[in-house]
Amino acid sequence: MIKLPFTDPGRPDTRSPVRFLLWVARHQVSTLLAGVFFGVIWMVSQALMPAAIGRAIQNGIVADDNEALAEWALILLGLGATTAAAGVMRHRCAVSNWLQASFRMAQVVGHHAARTGPAIKKKHSTGEVVATITNDAMRAGGAFDITARLAGAIVSYFVVAIILLRASVPLGLVVLIGVPILVLLMGFVIRPLQTRQAEQREEVGKLTALGADTASGLRVLRGIGGEGAFFLRYQDRSQEVRQAGVRVALPQSTLDAAQVFIPGVFVVLVTWLGARFALDGKIDTGDLVAFYGYAAFLVLPLRTAAEAVDKITRSFVGAKRMIGILEVERDAKEPARPASDPPALSTLVDNVSGLVVEPGKMIGLVSSLPDEAARIADRLGRFGDGDGVVLGDVPLADLSTDTIRRRIVVSEADPVLFSGELRRELDPWGRIDGDDQEIHTAIEVANAEDVIEALPEGLDAFVDERGRSFSGGQRQRLVLARALLSEAEVLVLVEPTSAVDAHTEARIARRLREARQGKTTVVITASPLMLDQTDHVFFVQDGRVVAQGTHRELLKTSRSYTWTVTRGEDL
Amino acid sequence: MNELLPIADGPEIRGQARRLGRHHRRALLGMVGLHAAAATAGLAGPPLLGALVQSVQDGTTRAHIDKIIGLLAVFLVVETILTWFARRASFVLSEKMFAELREDFMRRVLGLPLSTVERAGTGDLVSRTTADVDALARTVRFAVPETLIAAITTVLTVAAAVWVNPLAALPCIAGVPVLIVSTRWYLKRAPAGYLWERASYARLAGTVSETVEGGRTVEALNLREERVKRIDDDLDNAYNAEMRTLFLRTVWFPTAEFAYVLPVAAALAWGGYLVSQGQATIGEVTAVALYVVKLADPVDRLISWLDEIQVGATSFARLVGIVRVPPDREAKDDEPEDERMRAEDVRYAYYADRDVLHGIDLDLEPGERVAVVGPSGAGKSTLGRLLAGIHPPRIGLVEVGGVRLVDLPLDTLRKEVALVTQEQHVFVGTLAENLRLARPDASDEQLVDALGAVDALEWVQVLPERLNTVVGAGGHALTPAQAQQVALARLVLADPHTLVLDEATSLLDPRAARHLERSLASVLEGRTVVAIAHRLHTAHDADRVAVVEEGLLAEVGTHDELVEEGGSYAALWDSWHGDR
Repeated sequence: MIKLPFTDPGRPDTRSPVRFLLWVARHQVSTLLAGVFFGVIWMVSQALMPAAIGRAIQNGIVADDNEALAEWALILLGLGATTAAAGVMRHRCAVSNWLQASFRMAQVVGHHAARTGPAIKKKHSTGEVVATITNDAMRAGGAFDITARLAGAIVSYFVVAIILLRASVPLGLVVLIGVPILVLLMGFVIRPLQTRQAEQREEVGKLTALGADTASGLRVLRGIGGEGAFFLRYQDRSQEVRQAGVRVALPQSTLDAAQVFIPGVFVVLVTWLGARFALDGKIDTGDLVAFYGYAAFLVLPLRTAAEAVDKITRSFVGAKRMIGILEVERDAKEPARPASDPPALSTLVDNVSGLVVEPGKMIGLVSSLPDEAARIADRLGRFGDGDGVVLGDVPLADLSTDTIRRRIVVSEADPVLFSGELRRELDPWGRIDGDDQEIHTAIEVANAEDVIEALPEGLDAFVDERGRSFSGGQRQRLVLARALLSEAEVLVLVEPTSAVDAHTEARIARRLREARQGKTTVVITASPLMLDQTDHVFFVQDGRVVAQGTHRELLKTSRSYTWTVTRGEDL
Repeated sequence: MNELLPIADGPEIRGQARRLGRHHRRALLGMVGLHAAAATAGLAGPPLLGALVQSVQDGTTRAHIDKIIGLLAVFLVVETILTWFARRASFVLSEKMFAELREDFMRRVLGLPLSTVERAGTGDLVSRTTADVDALARTVRFAVPETLIAAITTVLTVAAAVWVNPLAALPCIAGVPVLIVSTRWYLKRAPAGYLWERASYARLAGTVSETVEGGRTVEALNLREERVKRIDDDLDNAYNAEMRTLFLRTVWFPTAEFAYVLPVAAALAWGGYLVSQGQATIGEVTAVALYVVKLADPVDRLISWLDEIQVGATSFARLVGIVRVPPDREAKDDEPEDERMRAEDVRYAYYADRDVLHGIDLDLEPGERVAVVGPSGAGKSTLGRLLAGIHPPRIGLVEVGGVRLVDLPLDTLRKEVALVTQEQHVFVGTLAENLRLARPDASDEQLVDALGAVDALEWVQVLPERLNTVVGAGGHALTPAQAQQVALARLVLADPHTLVLDEATSLLDPRAARHLERSLASVLEGRTVVAIAHRLHTAHDADRVAVVEEGLLAEVGTHDELVEEGGSYAALWDSWHGDR
């Protein structure tokens, strides 16, 4: 087995679903071929079993020859052993094929999603991306898994047809022509089944969403006493899922019945013709038993073919979705030729708004429209093309994003706390080795000591997905600690204390000022507690700086500033 | 820190399954009967072929052959029709039983004491209401009926072989020892392996979801390659899980597959001996041999669904386990005399021996507005929840009109007091459904009025389908401010005389908050309000301010009184207001 995941899954060919799947296949040709080899042996050895049974009956029992009987029984056992051995090898190849293909696809799509950053969410919902990687990529691998069995099915179908052709042309033709027709017939039953299954899946998805809602919204429900009404809704949905299930039951039971009937027709036809030949002395009794066996065996290649059609179709659909994600491009473009790093302690200037961030200062940025402030933060962090912002004398657009991210860190209003060991989540860059002191210091600045104390495992505690086991205020303080641990030369904090109470906010503001001594900090906020700790405040209206000075100066000189930071209360 | 919700043990699981079975006894029996009939019709093939072989051997006519083949065809038709009915019956029945099961489960979940859920973390409950329900769906829809059908078919096939010739049928059991040993070995290890597999993909889904959801954070903190590595780590874990189960199958598959062929060879060899001894006819041996060949399919299905059933049983245990959680309240029929709320010597602990409230007394005058302030972790939110009757106090009492809140039935309680928190949850469904949670019988006009009262009509009017717009996860996304307005509109509909607001506007940007405060004012009109405040102007506007510090009421009084007193509230007010 090849060790997965791949160190480098490569660059996919996204021109079309076919090319994409072929690109995947090219990397695993040898496993595909090995699978086909064992698949053929596995299914052909099963196809030959009826022949052995027939011979055992004819040459052994009918002819009353114990030696021949023993011989054929042993041959049968040998075929059984071959089937078992080739079967397990085929299975291993199939799993390897499936995993190699699925993992390669999951990796290229997953890596792309991680590297594209926020751009991907503009085109696809999170659920879509998750489904594409965990469902589509995994299912699309099915097309590679099925190759081994499909090859076995095709070869064994010809083997059986040839055996029967040699006994009788019409009999052979029945099989040769009948099987493809029956595969098509099964397709007719399968299609409506798939449509209804898709409908059922959708209903189930809605119910699952409601189930997730129950758990996460229980607190809200409890607050307003909505449990009864909610249960009625759940019950309605649940009954709809049930109805969808009953609708699936119709084509599903038709398919199940067809799987009895269609091969059964073969058995009846082949046995009927066989019995007549036997009566005419064209074949012996053993052959007749064998014919019955062949007809019964054909169920296997038949089902396999139907399954293969299904899996290959699915992988095309999946490939199309994967390409959709692979086509999204990152917003922050890299310059063709990155300029060299401006020296440390350079001034950061946003020419669009007129904001000037002097090195080593703690700056406040106030806007009556939060969107405006967010746009300025976007420019300072160069999330888009970076026009208009200059660090020292180098435009941000000319610097590599890696350089910018190292020197300027923007912690936006509601950042995500990722799941994992808390220590690692606070320092995801792995900057700090061994000593927790620095982490504890940052936690203290963010006034999050109580959050850590409440965790029995402290920094070793495991953070749930998106940190949802923490309250909004706890999470906000933890991500502030994380931003501080980035040790960025310029730290831009957007509304860092919007979810904490005034007591805590006052404390954080004081400690933040001390902790960022000598480094540059921009705080976008409207909180007077925070602004009171800054060296200099810029007040922005309509995207331009309209007033600046210290917080207290501005309180005296600008009415609209005062109005903004005190929320319009005449105090 | 999390202690998981309880999980049911063996006897409880079996008891629950038996109850479910008894409840659907007739339908179950009917279904089993249909499957047995279908399986029996399917067993006609081998003896008919045996008869065919025998008569060809003995010499016969075309007409006789046609008659046997005709019978074969008839049985095929009968088997097909019975199969259709039997399958349909079992699909319909399993849908019904499963719907009953999940609804029963959900009813219990909705009644769970919130403190229990919180101790366990919502994660555990979410995985039960989603992943476990889904896992069980597969078991109930497919594994249970398939196993049942396979078991019926197996038993009947063996019975038919014995019926043809008991002596010749002996080799049926030739594969059994091999099967039992290898399958037991496999089943002991398989469920853990498959659960690991499933968990590993759930983890991958979580990582991808976070990465996409936090795309902006990933970009801002330069974590792109770090996230790539996380995804690869999760895939590595999934790969190891896959390798584990592949190893198990590598051992089990070939032994099982060989165990199916072994009895065929044995039946032929043994049959040949019996024929030579005159103890069986060629036709009988043929029929038995074909039965043994046929046996492979149901036996294979039977044992390959067993691991699925084991996995399903663990999910079932997690669903049934919810029953074990003791209720935290029992409704009595006392009626509150008036609307006066009172808390006396209230203490509460989330974890034993760790009280977060150390004895709080607070009387609320009807119609007054009390702001609760204090540092994070002081117990403000806990106090709010006790005042809203969400948790019963450990010691002390919280009552309205002389009746303890926890003695009121939930729907009566919510006519007295309701709680709105900063946690904004928009439920999946239409906007109207979201609102009607608070008052199921509300007319559309009442919904519009409630939205109007919180100043939300402006944006509701321009929604694609207005009240019928689907919102919540996957639907039309509401801004935090809109979500908060929906929460407030629910309050208007629920219409309790007392409201507890926990930092209701704190997560909003200043402009939206200002807008919302106006909406809020109309909701608060004429009600008793306890506002747990982040922002000091809320406190400034209140009739009284209660300062909570370290689980105790440190200061209570009007804004002016407290500023006068020069305590911790005064200090805070000064720094906020900038008069130092």
